[in-house]
Amino acid sequence: MKQSAFRSSIRKKTMSLRSICLLFLASALSFATLSARAQDILIPMDIRQSNHLKAYGIVFWLLEQGETVDWLLNYRGGAFLASGFNGLEQELQVRGVHFERIAPGASARIVAEVESEGYNTAIVRLETAPNIAVYAPEQTLPWDDAVLLALEYAEVTYDILYDDKILDGHLREYDWLHLHHEDFTGQYGKFLQYRNIPWYIEQQRDTEQMAARYGFRKASRLKLEVARTIKEYVGQGGFLFAMCSGTDTYDIALAAHRTDIVPAEYDGDPVNPDALSRLDFNMTLAFENFTPVFHPAEYEHSNIDTGPPPPALRNQAIDYFTLFEFSAKWDPVPTMLTQNHVATIKGFIGQTTSFRKALVKPSVVVLAEAPNRDEVKYLHGNFGEGTFTFYAGHDPEDYQHYVGDPPTDLDLHKNSPGYRLILNNILFPAAKKKKQKT
Amino acid sequence: MKRTFLPIRSWIGVVVLTALIWAPVVDAVGQQQENPQIVRFRLADTFLRSGQFDQAIGLLEDLYAEAPRNDAFYEKLKEAYNNVKRYEEAAALVRARLVDTRSAALLSDLANIRYLQGNEKDAYATWQEAVETAPTDPNAYRIVYRSLLGVRQFERAVSLLEQARAATGQTALFRVELAYLCSISGLYAKAAEEYLALLKENDRHLDFVRSRLGPFLEEEEALASSLVVVQDAVRTDPLYRTWRELLGWLYIEAEDFANALGEYRAIDGLAGGQGHMLFEFARTAAEAGAYNKASEAYREVLERYPDAPAAARTLAAFGAMHIRWAAEIDERAFDETGNRIGAPHYDEALAAYQTFLQQYPHHELYPDVLHRIGRLQQDVFLDTGSAESTFLQVVSAFPDTRAADQAAFDLANIAIIHGQLDDARLRFNRLIERLRTGDLVEQARFNLASIHMLAGEFDAALSLVDIIDAHTSTDVSNDAITLKILLLGNRGPDSLDMPLRRYAGALLARKQRRPLAALDSVDALLSMYPSHALADEARFLRGEILLAAGRGQEAYETFAEIPLMYPASFLADRALFEAAGILSRESGKSEEAIAVYRRLLSEYPGSLFAGKARDHIRRLRGDGV
Repeated sequence: MKQSAFRSSIRKKTMSLRSICLLFLASALSFATLSARAQDILIPMDIRQSNHLKAYGIVFWLLEQGETVDWLLNYRGGAFLASGFNGLEQELQVRGVHFERIAPGASARIVAEVESEGYNTAIVRLETAPNIAVYAPEQTLPWDDAVLLALEYAEVTYDILYDDKILDGHLREYDWLHLHHEDFTGQYGKFLQYRNIPWYIEQQRDTEQMAARYGFRKASRLKLEVARTIKEYVGQGGFLFAMCSGTDTYDIALAAHRTDIVPAEYDGDPVNPDALSRLDFNMTLAFENFTPVFHPAEYEHSNIDTGPPPPALRNQAIDYFTLFEFSAKWDPVPTMLTQNHVATIKGFIGQTTSFRKALVKPSVVVLAEAPNRDEVKYLHGNFGEGTFTFYAGHDPEDYQHYVGDPPTDLDLHKNSPGYRLILNNILFPAAKKKKQKT
Repeated sequence: MKRTFLPIRSWIGVVVLTALIWAPVVDAVGQQQENPQIVRFRLADTFLRSGQFDQAIGLLEDLYAEAPRNDAFYEKLKEAYNNVKRYEEAAALVRARLVDTRSAALLSDLANIRYLQGNEKDAYATWQEAVETAPTDPNAYRIVYRSLLGVRQFERAVSLLEQARAATGQTALFRVELAYLCSISGLYAKAAEEYLALLKENDRHLDFVRSRLGPFLEEEEALASSLVVVQDAVRTDPLYRTWRELLGWLYIEAEDFANALGEYRAIDGLAGGQGHMLFEFARTAAEAGAYNKASEAYREVLERYPDAPAAARTLAAFGAMHIRWAAEIDERAFDETGNRIGAPHYDEALAAYQTFLQQYPHHELYPDVLHRIGRLQQDVFLDTGSAESTFLQVVSAFPDTRAADQAAFDLANIAIIHGQLDDARLRFNRLIERLRTGDLVEQARFNLASIHMLAGEFDAALSLVDIIDAHTSTDVSNDAITLKILLLGNRGPDSLDMPLRRYAGALLARKQRRPLAALDSVDALLSMYPSHALADEARFLRGEILLAAGRGQEAYETFAEIPLMYPASFLADRALFEAAGILSRESGKSEEAIAVYRRLLSEYPGSLFAGKARDHIRRLRGDGV
């Protein structure tokens, strides 16, 4: 009873793709009659922007202040337009975000230009700061998490939650959930070579204890339940963003719900001999027909990941991927997710580097791919009332991040196009109606 | 005399002959061993490795039926069944063997299969039955222990090993295994107890214990639990040195230097260590910035063991630590008006070094300590006369030491302070000729260029700067570039370059610690050449001189007017940054300081100081970022 009430409330609170489109059309109509504002601030997101990443933080801060912000899709790199108020300019200066004061009447002209049929531009109104949750353990692991780095740097508030909070039903409190270097298959990232290192031992012990606490004999079963809960959350209108191994292992875990794909080195018993035939691709979000890797020492979960580029291309100077362009007026969601000041972005390697195109479900929208390599870097899809976005690779500004490497200093990458893609995702859930008080 | 044994050539002949005789025999045996069962067994193994389990199992079942007592066939067939999760068949295989022999190994195999089947209750009972086959034999426990590890039943394995001890009456049995098991199971207190017992049995295992414990201490809980256990142990046996060493080390890991000092003090007393342990502790504490405790330890070494070998090094290290401490808190020996004030850390350092010189005139550190005294006299106590004689003493008494090279360099600098530019030049040139390469030589070259500049010999300065500038890897290359820009951009308007000469005069006066003369030169320059290209630099120099003289308000005003008077100057943003710094630091005017930082951000958004200005604003307004 409670569950169904929750579902219906989630349905009311969140919005489907259709709702976003309707909202977008409504916004368009309202903008058509928009008069010039008294004092507006334009935050350009093209190459003139001094700090793209902090710009997202400012928009988030504005939303938290109860302000609305207009996201001008495909206009000057996906600029933001906000009403000026006392203190805004100072905050922009303090955070080092470039902005332009818009004279009365000029913002109306910009809006008209963006709304005109002649350009592939559109306006999306951002209204409410989304509640953000990051799925991460309490334990500090010896690698960084690009999303946490981005959120910290942009000064976006978020909560951290892990298996227990998710299984206890806390996901419903959030609009957006992020997963990063996680292994939902219960193989602890396949870091078998680190099995005698304390952080690995602690991670394995904590997971096993957590599994036992929730009545599971194995970590893989616990993680599967977490994956199912997250899927349910997405189905009820949640926004899921995953990176690196948080993408493919999520789908692998769901596909393996009725079999055991975990080698004995991780869970004490071998893989089911008929595991391949028992994979259920109806359960997955983005991938199908893939084959898990059963070798315990092979640092790879399945053939979804294409692995690092071929040796001839494994060079950060020549490894790149390109963003697709979508119709801003008819495809606002993919357009929001691909806002950037460049169309070509330098590649980066991760445990999951790129998705094999042939294994991506036809219903999924490819947002970015490595040219001529049949590799998808960034994709988006809908499930139920919600959406998911998968971004392959570990750290957009650290070509090959190794265990134990220091975290990336984003102050040195203020204009990172790769990190922008992450932050596009946190604003995307803001493009919705304000929640009704209940 | 004839030899009685065969020559080497004969021996070789014998060996070759023997080999020829035996070769066909060995070959025949080899052919006999290559029987069809072995070939099939190898094939089955290949099938297993390639994941073709059904073929492998078929072959192995046949082989096992043919030779049911063959252990290799049994093991491989059991492995194959387990690999495909045919647990019932695996269990049947084991049970069949159990009919003949109820050994710990077979029962353990059965328990393992039961566990994998999910039948945990039966599994535990069977493991227990396994140890009961030979309850006083440690090997039975070892077999079961390994089986439990295989299915990650660590806590149960811990209980088993404890049971083994009780049953065999061997209290030290499985000591290392148990300690490690406890660590990975998060039973840190228990692990510490085992390691303590290990140390009690053999105190030479201290390094081993540290290496085993160390990685786990990153976890707060592990450190806290281990500390409690080791503290209790030391309380029960305070005279056991190795335990106390372990406790001292744990305290340092916990950054509890007060308690660590207590332990090292006790260890030193117990072992008759002559202060060695205390000295090592003090060095560790000083490196970690725990100066109070380090100081206490150093003092104790000096007081309790004045004649010990560690005493000399302790004095030198004590002095060096106080200098580092003083620098960290920006200690000064003179107030703003030039009066000598108490500088406890510098005074302490000087006293320590002087004591060293008196007590250890033949110590290898003597030249170095003497040179450090000279630097204190020169840089801190501003007593160039004493410094000069100290440096001269180092150079003459210890000519072939690194301290002597440093002293020669410092003597040249003192010559500049005394206005003896030719003497300084000579000294730097001699140093360069003698050493030829190295950081000290590069610094000497730059100082030579500066002397030319201070003496108004701008062309000579430029040519020297060009040489340094070419070596971009050296530490002084940035300073050289700055000097070069100054020289290139500020010549004229007259043929004598009078503004630049006056500016150089101000720099020289400042170097000679004559702030008033420096200010006079700057003011004269500004009044005579108010619109010269040097005016912004001169005004900035004025601000720096005033700030160093403790005239904060005037310095603030000077810095604040630079962006107003020279908004396009390359120093304008830096001047604003300095002005804001004075407001927040010296005047405590946070709001005003924030306003100035904001001005910097809005007027000079591309400034190199913008990042720092943003940080300062956020700190001043308490953002906690």
